[in-house]
Amino acid sequence: MNAKWVKFIPGILIFFLSFSIPICAQSSGATLSGVVNDSSGAPVANAKISISNVFTGQSVETRTDASGHYSLSKLGPGSYDVTAVAEGFPTSKSTVTMAAGATQTLNLQMDGSSGSGPAQSNGSAQSSGAEPSLSSLGFPKSEVEGNAKEQARLNKRSHMLQIHQKLGMVTVAMMIAALATSGGAKGHHGLPGSPAGRNLHMALGATTAGLYAATAYFALAAPRMPGIKVRGPIRLHKAMAWIHGPGMVMTAILGAMAYSQLSNGERLHGIAKYHQTAALVTAAALGTAVLAVTFKF
Amino acid sequence: MKIIRNIFLCSLVLTLPVLASAASSTWVLEQSTLTYHVSHPLHHVEGVSHAARGKGICKAGVCNFLAAVPVKSFKSGDTNRDLHMIEVVRGAKFPMVMVRTSMPQTDLKGGSIKVNLSIQFAGQTAHYNKVPFKLVPEGKEIRVVGSIPTTVSDFKIKPPELLAMPISNKIPVDVDMTWKEQ
Repeated sequence: MNAKWVKFIPGILIFFLSFSIPICAQSSGATLSGVVNDSSGAPVANAKISISNVFTGQSVETRTDASGHYSLSKLGPGSYDVTAVAEGFPTSKSTVTMAAGATQTLNLQMDGSSGSGPAQSNGSAQSSGAEPSLSSLGFPKSEVEGNAKEQARLNKRSHMLQIHQKLGMVTVAMMIAALATSGGAKGHHGLPGSPAGRNLHMALGATTAGLYAATAYFALAAPRMPGIKVRGPIRLHKAMAWIHGPGMVMTAILGAMAYSQLSNGERLHGIAKYHQTAALVTAAALGTAVLAVTFKF
Repeated sequence: MKIIRNIFLCSLVLTLPVLASAASSTWVLEQSTLTYHVSHPLHHVEGVSHAARGKGICKAGVCNFLAAVPVKSFKSGDTNRDLHMIEVVRGAKFPMVMVRTSMPQTDLKGGSIKVNLSIQFAGQTAHYNKVPFKLVPEGKEIRVVGSIPTTVSDFKIKPPELLAMPISNKIPVDVDMTWKEQ
């Protein structure tokens, strides 16, 4: 062996092994530090900085000092979610990838004017270019920004429709009870029904009409969402209203006429004899409307 | 001389894989189908979205991926139900679902992998560990298929009810994505 070449062996080994995977880096740890400022550039003191490893979920916390500065050391390599929380500011969130043993800076801005939506990533990881950001995906601004007013409108809409749903079930139950007592009102085999039967049927019918009006109010007054095209079983539910709405009115009018005739000892005649038909058609339409949104058609 | 040559060759063999994996690359989400599943005693509902966008950056052997999808883009075929869903998940206030993950670049060669996900949804962040996915390389593209075991409670969402019966806590999301290397 030529001794002249042997002295270059350590140099060659060091040259190639310097590219090797840094197996030992985990024991030395990476350091993340930075400054937290508000929108005017003033430092935010005593902000809680939490950093959580995306892989393992392990987290570490610290607080900024009087100059808004923080530092977290002995971090393993990997991606981290970074959260800054300070009183009077919405939570600021960011992500950073730490290389083994590296020292990186992540400055955060707490924007006091922002009041809607989660804090999207707004940190500037100065030495990490490996994190894709939401802004780089190309979504229009209107799609990524939260709208608290629209959320409030949706909340009101849902609340009113839930009341509409519950009142609707009570209305259906009352209507069934009114239909069940119709025999006692008009009598059987040509004989007139009893006054007590007529009064009970009328009372149940009037209660049904009142509940129906309340149910309809909560549906009609619920806020509409502009630009939404109605699709699905809700279309059938809404279409049935064109039948049971006028049907309720006709049933009530014809019912009042029928009540008057029977109370005077007369047989049902004229348009009043269609009271039962109107009631049955109304009940069928209302039942279909309920079933359309209860079961999958 | 023979010894030196052997040492040189061994060092080269040790180093080459590291050099190869250290190459940077960028991935873009080409197409996607995301499907959520909601179970109720009277209904089984599926909502589908094809509107996700994503980006992946591979550097120093580690790949970081971000995929985001607008909450409003999920359609179940019933407008009323979709609006209620948006309200329940606070979708007007927090309009985006964002999913982040990191993985070794070597995982992209294909096969079955398990990844840790960080999901931002409804104003909350939840972590899901070791979620299985199947990666199928198709030339310069990779198809990713799997299911994320999301639950309503993880995101502090009050489960909606029908006839006083709430939906199931589990709302798994099926993922079918195609990523393309730039």
